[in-house]
Parts: sequence; C-alpha cells; structure tokens
Amino acid sequence: MSAALRTTTPPTEAVAGHRLPLRRFARNRLAVAGLAVVVLFLLFCFVGPLLHSTDQTHTDLTQVNLAPNGSHWLGTDAVGHDELGRLMYGGKVSLLVGLAAGILATVIGTLWGAIAGYAGGWIDAVMMRVVDAGIAIPALFILLVVSAITTPDTLGLIVILGLVSWLVPSRLIRAETLTLKNRDYVLTLRAIGGTHGRAIARHILPNSVSTIVVAATFQVADAILLVAYVSYLGLGVQPPSTDWGGMLSAGLTAAYSGRWWLIVPPGLAIILVVCAFNAIGDGLRDAFDIKGRG
Amino acid sequence: MNILEIENLDVTFTTETGDVPAVREASLYVRPGETLALVGESGSGKSTVALAALGLLSGNARATGRVEIGGVDVVGANEADLSRLRGRTASMVFQEPATALDPLTRIGAQIAEVIRNHRPLSAKEAASEAVTLLRRVGIPDPEQRASAFPFQLSGGQRQRVVIAMAIANSPGLLIADEPTTALDVTVQAEILDLLRALAADSGTGVLLVTHNMGVVADFADRVAVMLQGEIVETGPVEEVLLRPSHEYTRRLLSAVPRLTVAEPGDVPAAAPEVPTDAAVVELRDISVHFGRGRRTVRALQDVSLTVAPGETVGLVGESGSGKSTAARVALGLVPPTSGSVALFGTDLGRARGRARRALLAGVGVVLQDPVASLDARMSVGECVAEPLRVHRRGMPAAERRARVAEVLERVRLPRELAGRGPRELSGGQRQRVSLARALVLEPRLLVADEPTSALDVSVQQTVLEVITELQDELGFACLFVSHDLAVVQQFAQRVVVMHAGQIEEQGPTETTLLHPGTDYTRRLIAAVPVPDPVLQRRRRAERRAALAVGGTGATA
Amino acid sequence: MDTFLYLTRRILQALAVILIVTVVVFCLLHALPGGPARGILGPQATAEQIAAFNHEQRLDQALPVQYVHYLGTLLHGDLGTSYTLNESVSTLIEQRLPKTLVLTVLSAFVGLLLAIPLGMWQAVRRNKPADYVITTLGFVAYATPVYFLGLILVLVFTQLLPWFPSQAPQGETLGQVLSQPNALVLPVVAGAASMVAVFSRYMRAATLENLSEDYVRTARAGGSRQGAILRRHVFRNSLTPVVAMLGYYVPVLFGGALVVEQLFNYPGMGLLFWSAAQSSDYPVLLGCVLVISVATVVGTLLADIAQRLVDPRVKAGRA
Repeated sequence: MSAALRTTTPPTEAVAGHRLPLRRFARNRLAVAGLAVVVLFLLFCFVGPLLHSTDQTHTDLTQVNLAPNGSHWLGTDAVGHDELGRLMYGGKVSLLVGLAAGILATVIGTLWGAIAGYAGGWIDAVMMRVVDAGIAIPALFILLVVSAITTPDTLGLIVILGLVSWLVPSRLIRAETLTLKNRDYVLTLRAIGGTHGRAIARHILPNSVSTIVVAATFQVADAILLVAYVSYLGLGVQPPSTDWGGMLSAGLTAAYSGRWWLIVPPGLAIILVVCAFNAIGDGLRDAFDIKGRG
Repeated sequence: MNILEIENLDVTFTTETGDVPAVREASLYVRPGETLALVGESGSGKSTVALAALGLLSGNARATGRVEIGGVDVVGANEADLSRLRGRTASMVFQEPATALDPLTRIGAQIAEVIRNHRPLSAKEAASEAVTLLRRVGIPDPEQRASAFPFQLSGGQRQRVVIAMAIANSPGLLIADEPTTALDVTVQAEILDLLRALAADSGTGVLLVTHNMGVVADFADRVAVMLQGEIVETGPVEEVLLRPSHEYTRRLLSAVPRLTVAEPGDVPAAAPEVPTDAAVVELRDISVHFGRGRRTVRALQDVSLTVAPGETVGLVGESGSGKSTAARVALGLVPPTSGSVALFGTDLGRARGRARRALLAGVGVVLQDPVASLDARMSVGECVAEPLRVHRRGMPAAERRARVAEVLERVRLPRELAGRGPRELSGGQRQRVSLARALVLEPRLLVADEPTSALDVSVQQTVLEVITELQDELGFACLFVSHDLAVVQQFAQRVVVMHAGQIEEQGPTETTLLHPGTDYTRRLIAAVPVPDPVLQRRRRAERRAALAVGGTGATA
Repeated sequence: MDTFLYLTRRILQALAVILIVTVVVFCLLHALPGGPARGILGPQATAEQIAAFNHEQRLDQALPVQYVHYLGTLLHGDLGTSYTLNESVSTLIEQRLPKTLVLTVLSAFVGLLLAIPLGMWQAVRRNKPADYVITTLGFVAYATPVYFLGLILVLVFTQLLPWFPSQAPQGETLGQVLSQPNALVLPVVAGAASMVAVFSRYMRAATLENLSEDYVRTARAGGSRQGAILRRHVFRNSLTPVVAMLGYYVPVLFGGALVVEQLFNYPGMGLLFWSAAQSSDYPVLLGCVLVISVATVVGTLLADIAQRLVDPRVKAGRA
C-alpha cells in the first residue's frame, strides 16, 4: 500500500506511559484477586508449617478419620495425619512442581518456537510438524503410559511434565517471532549488516518478553492442574509424601462415606490456585495488549 | 435550510491517562448541493467532527453543542433515531476500503442490507437495486460482481462499493472521511470524479474530510481549516487556497509539495549528461518472483537501474509497481530470482560474511513507518548507536555517545533526546532519529523507502530539508522511493517510473516529469491534483479529454 | 486445482505428523523395561521364548531396520495382541473406539453449543457484572480436575437428586450404548465443562475483536442496528478463528474422555487404556496411543477442511 499510514482515529491515550501495563493490571479486579490468592497460598504452604507444625511422616492410629474439631481444624485422614498440616505439606509439592514444570515447559517452548520462527523455511516446517505430532498425543495418555513403565521421583516428574507441555508455548512464541522478525527495526538492522544473533538477542527476545511471561503464567496454571491428575494416574509422589492431587484422589472413596474434609480442602485449593494463575495470566495479557492464547 | 449545521461542537475523549479535548467550539455548515472540505493535519480533529455528525463516536467520547442534519438533532438523539438517519438522510464513506466491508458477505448483499434498513423492499427487489447501484458507481459487469466477496475486488472497487452503499437511499448529505487517502493516485482521480458526478446528479451536499490540498482544489466549493481542534479559517475554495488569511493556512499551503506542470508551449530542455563514475548501486536485469507455478507473483521483471555517487534517484510508482521490492533488492533483503545487484562496485549476491557486512556498512536505511522503525525498548541514543555497535565494535562508549550526540544535532534534534524513549517522540522526530541512525556511519548511500509518507505535510517538509542539507554536507547518494510525484520532483535529480514490476521510463527529473515519454507516466502525472483550484480545473478537463480519447474506462 | 494442491499439501503434512508419532511410539516400545520382547510377550515369558521372539522379530538388527519392519506391521493393521485379554489389539480398539467417538463428539457438540452463544453474550456485556460472573465460572470449570467434577456431578445428580444413573450406558454395541441417553448426560457434561470454559473465552475474544473492526462501523453508518450487525456480520467472522482452534482441542477432548470413561465405567477406548495401564499391557497401551493420535490428526485435518469450506478467503488461497 503506497498511501499514508496517517491515522484519523480518535486518540486512545493522552500520554504514552511506561507504567501503563502496571496500571491496567491493577485495574483488573480478577487479576489482582488472583495475585492475592497466589501470595496467600505461598505463605500458607511455606510459612504455615512454621506456625502450625504437625507430623506428616508418622502415623497416629489413635487419631484416625476424625471430623474437623478443636485440635484438628480440618480433621484427620485415614492414618491419623492432621489434614490442615497435610494441606500445607501437599501444597508445597503441588506448587513447587507446578511452577518448575511450567517454567521448564515455557523455556523449552520458547527456544523451540523462536528457532523455528526465525529460521523459517524447511527447518520451521519440520520443527512444527514435530510440535503437531506432540500435540496430537493427548498428555494424559502419555502420562498414563509412563506410569505403567516407571514411577519417577520429584525431579523426574518435573521433567516429564515439562516435556509434555512445551508444545503450546512453542507455537505462541513462534508466532510472535514471525511477527517481530518482519518489523522495520529488524529489517533495518539486517540491511546494514547486523547479524542474526544480534537481531534475536537485542530485538526479538526483549520484545517477546511480555508474550513469554503471559505464556509462562498460563503454563504454570496448566502444570499445577496436570500435577493434580498425576496421582490419579498413578504417577504421583510416594507416601508419606503427598500433594494436593494425591490427597484428592486418595480421598475420593472417602467422599461416599461422608468424610468431606478429606476432599473439599485439596479440591478447593487446586481450583483456587489454578483459577488464580489463569486470572493473573489473563490480566497480564490484557495489560500488555497481546492477542490470543494459542 | 442547510443540510448540515454544526454549532459550537466540543468533543472530549476520556482515556486511561486523562481527558483529551479533540474538538473545541467548531462551527460549520453545508448547503444542499455544495461540497465543504474540512482540512487539517493529523490530530486536528477533522475526522472526529465527521464521526460526530453521524453520532459514530466511540464510547469514550463526550460531545456537546448543536449538530443538525436536515434539521434533525444528532447530539441528543438516541441510537434508534440515529440509525433511522444513517444511510438515509446522511451517509458516510470511510478511509480504508480494505477493511470497510464484511469479508464473509457478498457485496450485493451488503448493499441490499443498507437499502432494506430504510425501505420496505423485498430481498429480490433490493438485490436488483444493488446491481443498479453497482452499475452507477462504475463496477463493470455488475450482475456477476454482486455475488463477489470483498477480497475479490481491488481497493478502488471496494471503495466504489462503499460509495454505492452510501448513496443507496439518496441521502441529502454525504460525509467522506479521507475517501481516497488509501488509494493510488490514478484510482483517486477516478473516485473523485465519481463522487463529484454523483453529488452533482442528486444535489447531495458533501462534507469532505482530507489532509490533501490537491483533493480540496479538485473537489470542494468551500474550505474549513482545522488546527488542534479548532476551525481557524473558512471560505470559498479559491479564496482560502490562493489568498489564505490565517497564518496556519499559509504555512500549511507553503509546506505542500507542488507538482510543477508543463505549461503548453514549453520546450523540453536538453538532457544533462549522465555521470559515468562507478555507480553506487547497480541493479542489472533484476527479476524477483514469489511463489511457484500458477500463483507466481512477478514482483520485478528485468529491472535495471543505477545510482551514481552523490545523486538522488527517485523511484516512483503506484502500489504493486515493485518500487519497494526494488529498494529491498538493493539492500540485500530480498534475493533476486535472476539478475545481479552491485553495491559500490561489488556483487552483493556473491559477497559473504565479513565482506558482505563491510559492504552494507556503507548503506543507511530509513523506512516508512515511524512507529515500527525504532525499537521502543531501546532509548533514542541506543537506536542511533546501533550501527556503531555492529560495525565499530571497538569504539569506546564515550566516543560513541559523542558521535550520537553529533548526528542528532545534524538532524536538528537536541542531543538530550538521546536519553528518551521513542514513545515520547512525534512521528517527525522519530523519522529524524531513523535518519540519524542511517547516517551515523557516514554512509555513501541512503536508501529511503517512503520516509515521509506517514507524516503530516508540515513535518514532511522539515525532514526533507534535513535530508537535502545533509546530502549537501556529506555527499551521499540517495535512492528515494515514493508514490508522491511532487516530493520526488522537488528532491531527486533522476527519476525512475515503475509500473507492474517493470520500469516504464527513467531519466532526469526535469524532463521526465514535465515531458513524460510514456502514456502511463502522462496519466500518472495528470492524475495528481494540485492545490490551485483554477489550475486544477483545467488539468481535470484535459485529463478527462485524454481518457475519453484513450478509452480507459473505470477499472480500478 | 488450488483446492487439490491445498488438500495434497495438508494430507502430506498430516502423514508426516503420523509418521513422527509412530517414531515416538516406537521409541516408547524400546524404552520399556526388559525391552520390547518382554513388553510384547509379557512378564511371564521364558528366556527361550524371548530369544526366539527376538530373532523372529529381528530385534538383533539395527534400530532403523526394526523401525521399517515395525511400520510394515502397522500398515498390515497388526497392532499386536493383548496379553491380559488375549485378543488382537486392533479388534479391541475396533470395538471400543466408536463408543469413545460418540462420547467425544457429543461432548464437543454440547460444549460448542453452549460456549459460542455464551462467549458472544459476554462480549456484548463486556466488563459488566454478568461478564465477570461467567468469566469466573469459566475459570472454575477449567480449574476443576475432571475426576473431581465428575465426583461432584455424581454426588449431586445421582445421590442428592436422583436424576441420572451413576454409571454410563454399558454394552458391547453402539446401539446398546445409545439406547440409554440419560445415562450419557453426566459423562458428556463432565467432558464438556472444560471445553465450554475455553471456547467461550475464545468466542468472547474473537467477538470483541470483530466488534471493533471497520466493517461494523460501515454497517452502523448504513443504519444497521447492533443486534442485526451481531447476527449478520460479527457472528460469522468470530466463528472462523474459533473453529480453527477446534483442531487443537481434539487431543484434550480425548484426554478428558480417558478420565470420564474410567469414572463412569463407560466401555470405550479410554477405559480399555486405563485397565491396560493398571496391568502394564503394553501392546494395548501403545496401540491405543497410536490410534488416538491418528484420530487426532485426522480430526484436525477435518476441522481445517471444514474451515476452508466455510471461509471463502481460505478457499481462494488467501486468508
């Protein structure tokens, strides 16, 4: 188009502010609530045990299956562990594994997507076919197969979850890279002899940061949710260690006998935290004005 | 009774960062059958006035004052009353035809929708009337075309469809907001002809919003000039354009690049010698094809051109002519399918690695979009210093800063700007920063692709002056791509006219633009409107006569 | 001609993806403890049986050769034999897959039927209380693990309010399964919940984007009212990107089906897979993974073609 890019649309900003994203985020009530929830849970799980210390390794068969009462605010489970303490204990695992796996998935996805997007041509085509293949195999199916073969430790679990989840962020980052690589400032750099390395390091990656951060937030939400499935599928951490998903699936049978205190707390915890991360991701995306979740 | 009356219109926008007053106490009127042009640069508020007239302002706008169309109040009206008005008593044509139509609905249906909004016609009747309208706006083969989708039409044709929708119910007022800005100049001429004919036929009043003084001279009976939300001058077109009274109008008119046209009886001057020194850029038989098989796009076909040291070559053409592609080939950004590119005497296609980078260090680049040309995450100083970091890695930081400051001053920007971010700058300032970056290594060639097309006329003048000044000082050659013939005429020593991927003609600017050798160039020049109503009227008559003889109907 | 080229290209792409999936499954096969021999023959296999198997299956040869051989067996439709159920895997899958497809297609259908109008409605009422409420509900639906949601549904709708049976329809044939529609309700709802959350969000975003497009302004300038604009123009334009996302959601649907079938004891492929995992029945496991992935790729291809048929721009080769 040869003609002017002149805009005659009404102004949407009186002043172009650097703090604009922060302000937009702060105005999004759901997002701020989400942030508060995450902070609360982090405190609950990591600072909580210091204030309310319970024994989560030894069983106490005198205190089995008690409903919530004065000394056990959330009751006890089938081997006598204090449920409230267990919630904190399990939360540590859920949150840590979720955060680590989510970030790992984002890192792998970013690298893969950026290389594919920047290289273009057949490299891009092949790399994206691999991604398509990965997406085609449902994550839960793969996890179930893995559970039939082996039972991983925490680190192994993080790696497996990361390997199963990096596919979605890779597509997002690839799309972002494609857009950025055709921006005028990158073209100008190439035209005067700038190297690919400089284009990526100095222009493409820094301008992708907001997309990457949003993707990472959603990945953490998904990872925490995936962790909740993991015990249900038989891949979970071994007792006496536990996580929220483990508590939830272990307590499923208890639901029918009316022992609601074994499933409602972990269930609510999972729902609240995953919602919270999703709300934060949504808020960040609106604040940075990015489109799409992929 | 005036078909449009606006009195003391105030429009304020509420944004995230505060209130923005866009229009202040604007008053104007349009008589039935006359055309009032509302001119101004970006931010003047002219589009806001147009949108306010139909109640189409966005939700965050507050309008006060009196706006009446055919006696009916608009400001206080509710949505139901307004929708009865829109498309019937008054309608609007917008700037961007590419996005003005629903991509998934056939154009006949979209026109029929407007008809049935206001008249109790059956679907079949409305459809046949749509076809009649398409014929009236000059779409060939209207029965067939009515079932086409917007993407199957060209920009000019899409604009004709939008116009058809606008006149479907014979409105008394037609508001046109930059209706031809997004179109090529030849298409622009045709669309303006169409609008003029339609308005004359049905006695429709027209409010024409534009920044282009040539369009004003071509079309308007009266002119209102807007500056920062206020109307500073109003009057008949000949008065305002030839004898402006307000300071701003005078400044605006003097900044408009005027195309000098040949007076009848002029004799072409003798062609000056073409310099024979080693060319700075040489494109030889360049062809660029995108895609394969049946869908091959032949962007360039056997294009050969050179730029000699120190000279400015203007590369002109309409959209799709290949001028930008040619510039990118010269920059090494687009590999040619065949042919060779030489920079400073060395074949660019064969140069690799360090040798290639060394060649490119002698080139500076300025592109069209002031927003996208600077990475907003870097400060102005870092942007300008980038070529230094690429090619002079050993340079100490202090020296780099000094160099940046020096070149900023050269482009008439204060050296303190180096610490600021691009977001804080205006379009013209950004382009000058882009220019500073292009010149920081003192290149032998500057490639500028539409560097001022996205800027207001007054700002454009400053940027062009700066380029000329620096060229005198530093002696670089310049490959200047533009669709604006007047700018090229002012600026370039030689001009290359491109059309559909091929070179129509090339030669010294003087002779080529005043006495063009090919039909295409003649038509191109004839289509450019000049801001002198008297002269423009004569040129229009000549152009129509030439078209009638040449038999080029409305195709775009 | 253009359509032919496009189809060919897409099918080739799909085949490439399937090929990569077979490579992944092949690698998994060789990652099994005790090697593929034990994996196929079962934990009770004797040393001689394994040796014979190895030689017969050419497991002493180079991996790439084995892979080609493996592809050969696949193309013959031979997915091995289940050693817990003692039937050929392909037969088992043939029996079970249609039922899973019924469940997933129904879930998808119900999910979209709810999500699309909901998303559009939210967009029109952007940032009003109704929008916030539905967004929050959507987040909750997405964040609830399917087995937990299923449990709640069962507790509420089979015990508290005995409206539905707690088990999905049983039966070998498709006909038997479809003859008990009210037993399908809870499984479908459980499977569709997450989809409603995700797709209403996509639809909301797409509608919002379209509402600010120029063609809406042109229609308004022609006198069209908001309702008509939404119906005639915005709806179809918003649908396109949403349909595009459908292809990528198919594997999620299948994953959900896995849990739902186990929860409601629905005799589909998910339940087959689940039991195979409990008993380490590798041939069934790997066969299912392969078939599901191929089903996903085909599903995505169909969604792509559907989009092409609907959007005239894509049809002409530009979108």
